Amino acid sequence: MTHPLTQMVPTFGQMPYSDIFKDHIAYPRNAGELADADVIAEETNPVCGDRLRLSLRIRDHRIEEARFLAYGCPPTLACGSAIAEMIQGVTIDDAARLTKDQIAEAVGGLPSRKQHAASLAIETLQAALAKHASEDRG
Amino acid sequence: MRKVYLDHSATTPIDSRVLEAMLPFLVEKFGNASSVHMFGQEARAAVDKARRQVASLIEARANEVVFTSGGTEANNLAIHGICEAATAHGRHIITSAIEHPSVRGVVDELEKHGWEVTRLPVYDDGIVRIEDVRAAIRPDTILISVMMANNEIGTIQPLAEIGALVREERERGHRHLWLHTDAVQAAGRLSIDVQTIGCDLLSLSAHKIYAPKGAGALFIRRGVRLTPQQVGGHQERERRAGTESVANIVAFGAAAELAQKELDERNKQTRLLRDRFEAEVESQINDIVCNGDREQRLPHLSNISFRFIEGEGLLIHLDMQGVAVSTGSACSSGTLEPSPVIRALGRNEELARGAIRFSFGKDNDNEDVDYAVAALSRAVESLRALSPLAREHVVLAEESVPSA
Repeated sequence: MTHPLTQMVPTFGQMPYSDIFKDHIAYPRNAGELADADVIAEETNPVCGDRLRLSLRIRDHRIEEARFLAYGCPPTLACGSAIAEMIQGVTIDDAARLTKDQIAEAVGGLPSRKQHAASLAIETLQAALAKHASEDRG
Repeated sequence: MRKVYLDHSATTPIDSRVLEAMLPFLVEKFGNASSVHMFGQEARAAVDKARRQVASLIEARANEVVFTSGGTEANNLAIHGICEAATAHGRHIITSAIEHPSVRGVVDELEKHGWEVTRLPVYDDGIVRIEDVRAAIRPDTILISVMMANNEIGTIQPLAEIGALVREERERGHRHLWLHTDAVQAAGRLSIDVQTIGCDLLSLSAHKIYAPKGAGALFIRRGVRLTPQQVGGHQERERRAGTESVANIVAFGAAAELAQKELDERNKQTRLLRDRFEAEVESQINDIVCNGDREQRLPHLSNISFRFIEGEGLLIHLDMQGVAVSTGSACSSGTLEPSPVIRALGRNEELARGAIRFSFGKDNDNEDVDYAVAALSRAVESLRALSPLAREHVVLAEESVPSA
């Protein structure tokens, strides 16, 4: 029998981390950086210092490969993993339509005070797509 | 999966002997200790015995011990109680920069209400300097509240020296100056003697010494008057109203007696485990910084900052491998609250965010240590593989290697 005190689940406030959330932390999807990226974007949350970097290889308006690197609280890592997984293989237009709520949902939901992690993921993606669009035009 | 509990500074499991002592008071011995009949008197006798046991742990007299609901209430009663009672004599408090939130929060609140507060620095070793205490004392200082040992890094503060300083001040005519110490982390790990220390108030908590949550105590030296914070009953000699939590208090007493009896044995064991842990971590994981003085600290505790990563992610990774630890930092609403204790050591934000506390207990063994180190090594490697900070560090290191 395990001791009841060892059956502890870390929580943010009242909310325990969901299984899917913990899975993203334990087995991050598409972690790393592409050596042959077409575009790399990094955004920082100016208040808490969390950082997210996305590197994308884009062919024919489609994100062929996506990788992420992240520093910060667990929601930032989980959202980085989720967004890198979600945008791989989709068209630029579809990727551009992703919302922060979809990212939060993909990690099993986030309490209001951790929503900034999903926002950082979307902002980094938007920055990468904007950079790619301007380079494309240039 | 193996489960390894390394968070004994957060709370401890109940010792089976303590549980055995308290159980009758949850079942057949249910009397109210204030009742005159035999049920009540049975409970009263048990509370009195526990009071003697807790008093003995700190070398106090039994009637100097007031039971509370826990350490937080004891700290509230001590600080608010003295400050309210002594307003006429001054409104200046001295405390340290690394107090537990239950002291820090009370002092912050008093500051909002016009009290002046001096927060003593702790330097990179996490220890208050006696010269700073001396320099901070003013004619209107009424309270010095410095913890006996820190809850995050375990550093032991020079309480006996502060006590001697307070005595000196009193001899010079500074009569309205009291010394309080939060000994919640120190109890059961350091030998405490309130006579040697010379403190007027000392806070304790039951659940840090293998008793359940819900009981604590405040030592109030005979002759020290404070304003009760909870009124409406005659319990605890009018210093803390409310029916005593008899079973929890009995458990606290039993745990205090065991802690006193087994102090050396427990310290020897946890020190061996802690030292084995630190030696292994230092040999297996790069880019770490140990926080707090390595000598002048509690024997069961280790606080380490892991560079390039954030503590909460590490905590989750370890939890998923069955290892329970703590981090002092919290990130909420996009605002970062890095551990004030680690920041007080002069560490930067990255090190404060990457700090983890490992606190060993009497039931841990070498296998726990080895399992935890292996889990930690995997967790750190995994998180650093994701970290842009770690990559930048590698790139910088490679660039700094001179080409052949």
